[in-house]
Amino acid sequence: MIRNVLIAGLVALLGVAFWTLAAGYVPDAELNRTAAYYAANAQTDVGAPNIVTGIIVTWRGLDTLGEVTVLFLTSAIIALVLAQSKTPPGASGAGFLPSGELLTTGSRMLLPLITLLGAYVIMNGHLTPGGGFQGGAILASGVLLMLLADPSHRFAHSVIARVESISGLAYVLVGLAGMALAGGFLDNGILPLGRFGAMLSAGAIPLISVLIGLKVGAEFSSILESLEETEDA
Amino acid sequence: MAQIALATGFVLILAGIYGALTNRDILRMIVAFTIADTGVNVVLVAVGFLPGRTAPILDAAVPVAQAAERIIDPVPQALVLTAIVIGLGITALMLAYAYRLFRLRGSLDISNFTELKW
Amino acid sequence: MVSPVLILAIGLGTAFSLGLMKPARTRVLFGITLTALGVMSAIALGWTLALATGAAQTAEIHTAGVAPPFAINLRVGLPEAALLSLITLTGLLAALSMRAALLRLGRGSQAVLLVLVMAVSGLVMTRDLFNLFVFIELIAIATAGLVLLSQDERAIGAGFKYLVVSQIISILLLVGIIFTYHATGSLNIDDITVAPVAFRGASLAMFLLLIALIVELKPFPANGWALDIYTSAHPGFSALFSAATGSAALFVVDKVVAPAGTEWLPLLTGIGLLSFVASNIVALRQENDRRLLGYSSVGQLGLILAVIGQRDVLGDAYLYVAGGLILSHAVAKAGLFWMSSMVRGRKLEDWAALRTRAPMVLAFATFVAMLVGLPPFPGFYAKWDLAQALVAAGRLPVLTLILLGVLIESAYLFRWFGYAIKREAAENGLASNPVDCGITFATVAGGWALGYLWGNGPEQFNLLATLPAITAVVFILLEPLDARIKNGLAIAALLGWFAMVAGDYDPMRLIFAAVMIPGGAVILLASFTEKGRRLGFYPSAMAMYAGLALLLEATTFFEFFAAWEVMTLGSYFLILRGRMSEPHALSYILFSLGGAFAILTGFALASGGVQPHPIDGLQDVAAADLAPWVFVLLAAGFLTKTAAMGLHIWLPGAHAEAETDVSPMVSGILLKAGLFGLFLMLMQLGRQSLYGVDLTVVLAYIGAISAFLGAVLAVFQEDAKRLLAYSSISQMGYALFGVALMNHLGWLLAMMFVINHYVYKSMLFLAVGGVYKRTHTKLMYQMGGLITLMPFSFVSVLVGIIAMSGVPPLSGFGGRWIFYNAIMDADLRLPLILIFMAGPVGFLYLFRLIHTIFLGQLKDPHRKLKEAPVWILVPQMIFVAFLIAFAVLPGMALQKVDGYIGSIFGDQPLVWHGRAITSEFGYWNPVAIMAVIVMVFVAVFAILIAKNHDAQMVKQFNIVFSAERPYRPETTHFAWNFFAPYRKAMGFLETPVVTSFWGGVTGGINGAGEFTRRFYSGNGQTYAAHVLLFVVAVYLIAMGGIA
Repeated sequence: MIRNVLIAGLVALLGVAFWTLAAGYVPDAELNRTAAYYAANAQTDVGAPNIVTGIIVTWRGLDTLGEVTVLFLTSAIIALVLAQSKTPPGASGAGFLPSGELLTTGSRMLLPLITLLGAYVIMNGHLTPGGGFQGGAILASGVLLMLLADPSHRFAHSVIARVESISGLAYVLVGLAGMALAGGFLDNGILPLGRFGAMLSAGAIPLISVLIGLKVGAEFSSILESLEETEDA
Repeated sequence: MAQIALATGFVLILAGIYGALTNRDILRMIVAFTIADTGVNVVLVAVGFLPGRTAPILDAAVPVAQAAERIIDPVPQALVLTAIVIGLGITALMLAYAYRLFRLRGSLDISNFTELKW
Repeated sequence: MVSPVLILAIGLGTAFSLGLMKPARTRVLFGITLTALGVMSAIALGWTLALATGAAQTAEIHTAGVAPPFAINLRVGLPEAALLSLITLTGLLAALSMRAALLRLGRGSQAVLLVLVMAVSGLVMTRDLFNLFVFIELIAIATAGLVLLSQDERAIGAGFKYLVVSQIISILLLVGIIFTYHATGSLNIDDITVAPVAFRGASLAMFLLLIALIVELKPFPANGWALDIYTSAHPGFSALFSAATGSAALFVVDKVVAPAGTEWLPLLTGIGLLSFVASNIVALRQENDRRLLGYSSVGQLGLILAVIGQRDVLGDAYLYVAGGLILSHAVAKAGLFWMSSMVRGRKLEDWAALRTRAPMVLAFATFVAMLVGLPPFPGFYAKWDLAQALVAAGRLPVLTLILLGVLIESAYLFRWFGYAIKREAAENGLASNPVDCGITFATVAGGWALGYLWGNGPEQFNLLATLPAITAVVFILLEPLDARIKNGLAIAALLGWFAMVAGDYDPMRLIFAAVMIPGGAVILLASFTEKGRRLGFYPSAMAMYAGLALLLEATTFFEFFAAWEVMTLGSYFLILRGRMSEPHALSYILFSLGGAFAILTGFALASGGVQPHPIDGLQDVAAADLAPWVFVLLAAGFLTKTAAMGLHIWLPGAHAEAETDVSPMVSGILLKAGLFGLFLMLMQLGRQSLYGVDLTVVLAYIGAISAFLGAVLAVFQEDAKRLLAYSSISQMGYALFGVALMNHLGWLLAMMFVINHYVYKSMLFLAVGGVYKRTHTKLMYQMGGLITLMPFSFVSVLVGIIAMSGVPPLSGFGGRWIFYNAIMDADLRLPLILIFMAGPVGFLYLFRLIHTIFLGQLKDPHRKLKEAPVWILVPQMIFVAFLIAFAVLPGMALQKVDGYIGSIFGDQPLVWHGRAITSEFGYWNPVAIMAVIVMVFVAVFAILIAKNHDAQMVKQFNIVFSAERPYRPETTHFAWNFFAPYRKAMGFLETPVVTSFWGGVTGGINGAGEFTRRFYSGNGQTYAAHVLLFVVAVYLIAMGGIA
């Protein structure tokens, strides 16, 4: 009890600091210089109408590479953490009743649609809200649906691992290509910028979005799979 | 407007931290941290907000020439995506740890894991 | 030159592509990982080399082909490149160290390691705030993953605690970053503007940013989470965690605080100092080796944080100082963690297993010396420059706290080293294998190489480039040879050095040199008795002699100090070799380091930051206001070395427990270093007074008290070597008194003592050591009647005590004669009385020495003893011959010195004509006295022989104990408590006031450590609360500081 009061006191003191920040906050009236630069140069620099995607994939591409790596790390570590308590192969899901026809058919019907939506979100990331992460997450939700609908189904581990590796490696290589062919690491100018607002435009952004999408989808799938395999059947 | 969003975000952060430090159950701690993370994300987005402007996407509604006057700051939007993904990664990791801890001791009370001390 | 971005790309690309290989091909996978780390290291090293030699310019790397601040940019200058080399090499070696776990857990774990090394490298390179956050989170996640490599189940709990805290850090960091962005309109670190320390707007954002980065550095007390990781993680990983991640986090703090302005620096200084001192105090009570290293790590990070807080006064030296400390810490800590993976037990005592492999001991010694900042490692040079800058800037309190922390740190590190050398080595306690040994030795080599590099710094004195130091290092390489070959080489080296330098010295320096260098060679003759390889002896001894040689050569403050530390370190290793010397060696090194720090501060005070500062420049400050303080500090340092009363408690044990040939070295030779320092100091500074007290008078009092009490304490010793040790305190008291008289005769007296004390103390220690070799006891009441069995030893003890007691005809009398003349000149009455009384008291213990060992009844177990080994006798006989010659012809050495001292004081009270010396109070003709004495002696001896048949033999067993068995048999021996009546009268002087004082000091500090460490309850939630408390407390204190 005393402990909670003390912690409440500490949190309140931290709250004072935050309150000072919030009370002293004056919203900008104009875009600051960084944002203004992005607004002015989105078309010429990266060729992406969705400025946020331009920032994510190109200007702050290193962050995004790091972000992808976070997911990669998480999935690798979760596999490591759970490896020790893995159920023996084949045993997982054995205790589940076979899923009914309704569920199976429904999920089979939904899966292509989910995949399509994912692909759409990925491919249009530079034009409309969306992008590799969002699309990748949608793709993984398809995998989640499969896992939930049919727990006894085993995914081809090696396929996921391969997608994970190849997309990640290709991402790094595209980044290096930026150094060799364009202005620097992760420069999207290795491909022509194309017509502003077209599907295949904005240089390497759609390519990178695809790679991110695949990578994110594969990482999430592998995390889900690791979790599923530890199911206490 | 921005202040309201900021205040909401900060309250979420504080609530999350308080929850994480007072609940001994590891799962509750993790949930509390996701609340705090959400609060941080709200704060991030709130800082990029400019009154009366629209999303930073250059289309028919926002011609390139007027972009600087019409859009909000895109940078926090980009940052928040990264922050969300990182938060997700850490939460997933904590959950995996929680699972291992539970297998180890059959308990999720953090005060049961104090054999390393002094 | 390839772009440094490749370090990131290769790390990441390899991590990703490991998934393409079959998991079963573990060796191939591991090979790829190692290759990748190797290539990353090669790139980093290449850049370091290019930047250091000027072949390349600082690399500014723009990503996305856009200039900052609109895209993320990276920078690789010399500091970055050096850190990258450190990080990638540590990563490579850590991978090797963790090979078993990495192979067992497969490609996933290797990918995590690669990403960790990549992320730490990225953290160093990036110039973008948010990118910083991404890398920090990557590091946090990878750390949580690698903690799982440990076989220790507790690591899982530790990893979770770590994640909890990193959540709090990331919350603070993000809030700080976004508001900084709001304030500056940019995420680039170089766009951060100078922000005043305030608690609103940009300043508050900066505060949150900084405090989050500081919590990453595990400051005390918000560091329980990190300690648990150190304790339970795989040591290979802990090395990485401490050396690579810690250094990078420090660099980040520096990176962010640099543009924010100097106003923030006191915050860093305060946190850093608190963390450094407190962590070290807590570490004192630690028994688990890895947790101890953890405390030491967080302490060192605190120290460097405090140094970052001094960047405003360090100027150009900043990188040199901070870099030296970071690299010393990183290399040593990584090395120790890697060694700990070979030691099977987790207690500190279990490190005794190292002793089975001599090179491991060298590695351990290297790392300990590096951590403490001893020469010849970078931390030593850095410490010196830091002290200079701090004192010049008037930040004496900061320096004091830092030195205090270092002293406490050396207490537990050297105690640990003592355990390793002296404790029982467990059977099979060391899992040594070629790979782990290779890693350790690569680290050792790195440490020495850095030491050489840092030696080329602004002091313009590279220890490792001096001939004496090189010689000492060569003796490490000669270790496989037989001891007698090494002994011959050592003697040759000493004599060769003396022949080389002797010509350039003034008479006073020459006398010190003669005592220290050829004097050492004479004592080394006794070492010919030792067989086998005698591992560790020669490098230590030669390091001590190197220190002494350099001390005499020193022309600048820094050279003097460096030599002083080398000498201290070498002698510590020598003393530690004794059978029971573990605690004594520890107190020796601690007192010596404490004294050295006083000297360091004194020099810094005197130099005012000017580097290099000649020793002769000391006289320029003699008139300044701070001169008395310089005097006090330097004198305190030198008096520690001469073991003046109050600072003496290390001496008896250290000298008495040392090996037979080591005791004379440390007693006869090493003590003179302190006198040499005093001479130098007084010559330059002259008389100084503080608050109206003449400091030389204080010195004279200390000398007199030491002379008297040292003698009293010697009287009551049962152990022959301890008796001699206490007698050294007394003798050094005389010399100190002489020096402090500040007149011609006083100094001459002190010089006389330098020679005399060397000769008779070495001789007596050798003689007693020889007896000990035969009887295996140092307790005098267990001996007796050895005169017939060990006649040569008897002769040397006899001659030694005659010389020492100051009765005619030997040189001790010469000393006394000059002494009486000297005090006639002085007007110090009270110390004079004490000094006079010390004479007869000295006679009591000397009498006991010869009486109880050589006279009286021979003991049954000793009936078949032989004379001491011949090589122990040889130097004694040389000394006997010298004493007699010196008694007859003191002029051969002293006349020149007398003239030299005369040139300092501008007088000439002694007149030398022929063999006689005249002063205003009388004259001394040594030859005549010798002749008279010899005649008297021969006459009495003849009478005794003539009367011999009248003597009556007493039966040995004519005492009856009325059939009662004595409870403690030794109490019935006549030599037990020999001077009981005196003890009744003077026993109160024996009360161990000083010992209990120092005992109280150490007890208090240990108690504080014991109390404080209860703070680390082990509960992850409490640790998180500590972090919050820390943040809030710093916030409040800093806010209070402004208000």
